[in-house]
Amino acid sequence: MSHIAKHADRREFLRRAAALSSLGAASPFAINLAALGAASAQTTDYKALVCVFLYGGNDSFNMVLPTDTASWDAYVAVRNQAPDPIQLLAAGMAPDPNAAAGSPLRLGGVLPITPADAQGRSFALHPMLGAVRDLFAAGRLAIVPNVGPLVEPLTKANFNSARKPAKLYSHNDQQSTWQAFAPEGARVGWGGKLGDLMASANSNTMFTSISTSGSAVWLAGQRVLQYQVTSNGAIRLGGSGATLFGSTVAMDTLRNTIARSSRSPHLMTQDQAAVTARSIDAETLVSANLPAPGTAPWGTPAANYSQNNDPLLRYTNPLTGAQAGNGLAQQFQAVARMMAARAALGAGRQVFMVSLGGFDTHDGQNRSHADLYARLGHALAYFDKTIADMGLASSVTTFTASDFGRTFTSNGDGTDHGWGSHHFVMGGAVKGGALYGPFPVLGVKNANNNNFDSSPDQLGNGALLPSTSVDQYGATLAQWFGVSDSTALATVFPNLSNFGSRNLGFMV
Amino acid sequence: MHEHHELERPRAPAGALRRWFAAVLTAALAACGSGGGGDSGGSPTPQPTADIPASRAEAARFLTQATFGPSQADIDRVMQLGLTGWIDEQFQQPATQHRTAWEAADAAAKAVDPMASAGNNDVLYAFYQGAVGGRDQLRQRVAYSLSQILVISMVDGNVGQYPRGTASYLDVLGDGAFGNYRNLLENVSKHPMMGLYLTSLRNRKEDPRSGRVPDENYAREVMQLFSIGLYELNNDGSIKTDADGKPLETYDAADIAGLAKVFTGWSWAGPDQSDARFNGNSSARDADREWKPMQGYAQFHSTSDKAFLTATIAAQTTADPDASLKVALDTLFAHPNVGPFIGKQLIQRLVTSNPSGAYVARVAAAFNDNGAGVRGDMKAVVKAVLLDPEARDAGKLGDTAFGKLREPVLRMTALLRAYGATSDSGRFLIGSSDDFGTSLGQTPMRSPTVFNFYRPGFVAPNTATGNANLAVPELQITHETSVAGYANFIRGVLQNGVGARAAGATRNDVQPDLSPAIVLADKPAELVADVDQRLAYGTLPAELKTAIEAAVNSVAIPGGSATQAQIDAAKRNRALIAIYLALVSPEFILQR
Repeated sequence: MSHIAKHADRREFLRRAAALSSLGAASPFAINLAALGAASAQTTDYKALVCVFLYGGNDSFNMVLPTDTASWDAYVAVRNQAPDPIQLLAAGMAPDPNAAAGSPLRLGGVLPITPADAQGRSFALHPMLGAVRDLFAAGRLAIVPNVGPLVEPLTKANFNSARKPAKLYSHNDQQSTWQAFAPEGARVGWGGKLGDLMASANSNTMFTSISTSGSAVWLAGQRVLQYQVTSNGAIRLGGSGATLFGSTVAMDTLRNTIARSSRSPHLMTQDQAAVTARSIDAETLVSANLPAPGTAPWGTPAANYSQNNDPLLRYTNPLTGAQAGNGLAQQFQAVARMMAARAALGAGRQVFMVSLGGFDTHDGQNRSHADLYARLGHALAYFDKTIADMGLASSVTTFTASDFGRTFTSNGDGTDHGWGSHHFVMGGAVKGGALYGPFPVLGVKNANNNNFDSSPDQLGNGALLPSTSVDQYGATLAQWFGVSDSTALATVFPNLSNFGSRNLGFMV
Repeated sequence: MHEHHELERPRAPAGALRRWFAAVLTAALAACGSGGGGDSGGSPTPQPTADIPASRAEAARFLTQATFGPSQADIDRVMQLGLTGWIDEQFQQPATQHRTAWEAADAAAKAVDPMASAGNNDVLYAFYQGAVGGRDQLRQRVAYSLSQILVISMVDGNVGQYPRGTASYLDVLGDGAFGNYRNLLENVSKHPMMGLYLTSLRNRKEDPRSGRVPDENYAREVMQLFSIGLYELNNDGSIKTDADGKPLETYDAADIAGLAKVFTGWSWAGPDQSDARFNGNSSARDADREWKPMQGYAQFHSTSDKAFLTATIAAQTTADPDASLKVALDTLFAHPNVGPFIGKQLIQRLVTSNPSGAYVARVAAAFNDNGAGVRGDMKAVVKAVLLDPEARDAGKLGDTAFGKLREPVLRMTALLRAYGATSDSGRFLIGSSDDFGTSLGQTPMRSPTVFNFYRPGFVAPNTATGNANLAVPELQITHETSVAGYANFIRGVLQNGVGARAAGATRNDVQPDLSPAIVLADKPAELVADVDQRLAYGTLPAELKTAIEAAVNSVAIPGGSATQAQIDAAKRNRALIAIYLALVSPEFILQR
């Protein structure tokens, strides 16, 4: 870091502190965060975190499966329930091409993986996660078992006396808790806070926190605002022409005056205008600097390029056997193109969110899951390769998150809301091919109630009591991202100090 | 914890702001003398009532809250009947029949091709027939609000297979808009599309032997979203707390597990309760199963005791799903939360995002007792929402926190109704508008999840409203992509009309009538004032109108040797500029 740059950081810090001091009650904390951030962001390299949010609550019991005899027996006993068993088949079972689409018979057996430290057990992945198996084997993807929101370490023994997160098992509240450590209504997420801390690495803070799939509190900082981009890039307000109904004056009035400013003191018109002004300003930069989607490595050149037709962005739908556009891969393409434009956009540290919905598999789980995992696996593999081709393999870390895990029990063709769940972390800086954290014991349901007394890790209906907190999971990523100061970490991850380990060790 | 939004709001400061506000009001009221023609002749002359608005602008403001956008005819009618009289007349207006409309479309499709059928877009066509062309505006606007509380969505793969079912669900909401909430809750809970959406349809009782458990999906959401919410509420919508200040929760996991048993054994309607019919086998499908209420199947209904909230349903020797359901819905409906929980959300959908506690309490009181001892009377609730002093106070026009952002669908319908849009086919062929980048980013009956397009308590981080602790649900779908998508899409709606083209048609099906603007094209100030009246009941600030007028003036109306076509084109461009710039202004997007 040059002398000049340090001074720039210092000025940025003072400016930010002054700006934040007008924010009222939040300011002492905010200034603190800005100060810590200025200290943290003494760096010139590029790094990005990409959150893949699996909306609906992913049933990770069918994503990463322990296949040692005791675990597998429990799995079969609990999940082989009429009328549509959600129990996957044992490793090595060949797919039955005549079985119903999406059914375990049609999918074939689970796919074995060999973690570096298998904790004395053996493991496999869902049959549609072949791409993830390959990433795991190549050492570019790690598995973090049984992660979930926690306030402090929790066991069945201290369950009634220990503090627990509020509104467990509720979609909107647990999405918010994963993203912002508080139920719905939280306004600042840990991705956004990391952006706040590292924004001084960016000459333009507008592109610090970016979503391809709608507003998400994870991306909201105290200072940084999330920027929305479509899978295709930015949309120009007013369209491509220079005139509006025959008038350049009218177009100028639209773009430079009317849509982007409020003549009323009303707070809602001010907010509407502010978003619109950002839209117009950002689009100018984004459209001018993003590489074309139909160029390598982001896409495949074509005469009339369309994402839906780009073979790189198409996956095989296991329910139809046909190739189809993969919306998640398209989102990843936009992320990769934004990263390619990072110099022009003034971005040295970025947080992104992409998402895939449909994981609330109360029924029809077999079909839904098969398709969702096919998309997820394909999209992760696409992004891994694209990032590597861009030379950013070690600069970009991608991780999964979801509302919650699900029940181990079956309701006949699906599962209900749970708590802890397994997650993937992918990238060149990830110490892949291994599990980070104890893999839970899977038991069987009591005959007379919904309890799982045979497992120390399972609550009612077999939902997982998390053994690793979201704070620990996020803090491990944050330390790689450049936030290492313990005070800074504590401001982003409010429960971190309650846990023994602040770093799970899956990042270099 | 849930954010508590009964927060102090900034008051309209004295001085400059008050003067600005006075100017806006004066302008709004001054313009009330001129009004469109009106076509409400033929009705008997009603007795004047006390609540005839003081101006057409006030009538239009009321109608912006109560309809999909004021038309000149609506304004005439309100000026004639008064607010109460207009509402009473709307109560008598026959309901738009969405299923019937869908079935007619299906029959027409089959007449051309026996293998064809109407689809999900035909549900939307039926919706817009009511929303843009329907006379039962109040019923449909309330039903649309209810569709954002009692959510099902055609985006869901299962629901999407039964468009006729979703059309009938709109009829259920239309009935519920002026019915009783207890009946609405039952009709929704037994509707097969809700059964599919929240997976209570074909839900089986627990099996202690194998370990199978009931699906808890509907049990959870009927409490969290459709009746009582997460926290105990006071009548004013504020959250009750314990001695330590912690919010009191309404239910826990055990309540959900208990209630989940009630929602076992429900499936498709039909003349019998065979296993095949329960399972939906092709051998046992009633021709009307996608809209007939689900029926109970004793053999799949849990017989064990079911405890939830204050209720306990004793173990049943013979499974009785109807009896179980009655206890469950009676229990939920009787919960004191329902009035403030549902009432506040209706206020938010129709009038303002941040009603005062007193306003919520008045609406909750109407829910709790309609004055004749009846609980859940939606007519009383609707009147309480729309006639409340807080909704009607013209002084609120100057409150910088009052009102709401118009959601994208309502911006489009406001345009279409303000300019008397008609449908060439008569069917209002306006389809899905989901895409944020190229369309409205919102389609009726196509919410992404059961949590609606936005949450009622959404506070946008790092914003003026957020700093003032104001909830603005619609800001949850307002972002850099959506604002550009809306601006570009509505330009097309205005310029080219909207909707699919019927066979052989040469233009989009739904066309606004811009002639009232075009005739004023050579008088830009009058043109802009007229646009202001039609779209924003005279609330557009003078500075905005000046900017629009300058843009209008940038298009010259040619003289001399110009052809009539050139003159007409210039006039039309002037009209388009005036209307369009109003439509994209933050001041129009605000409804106050």
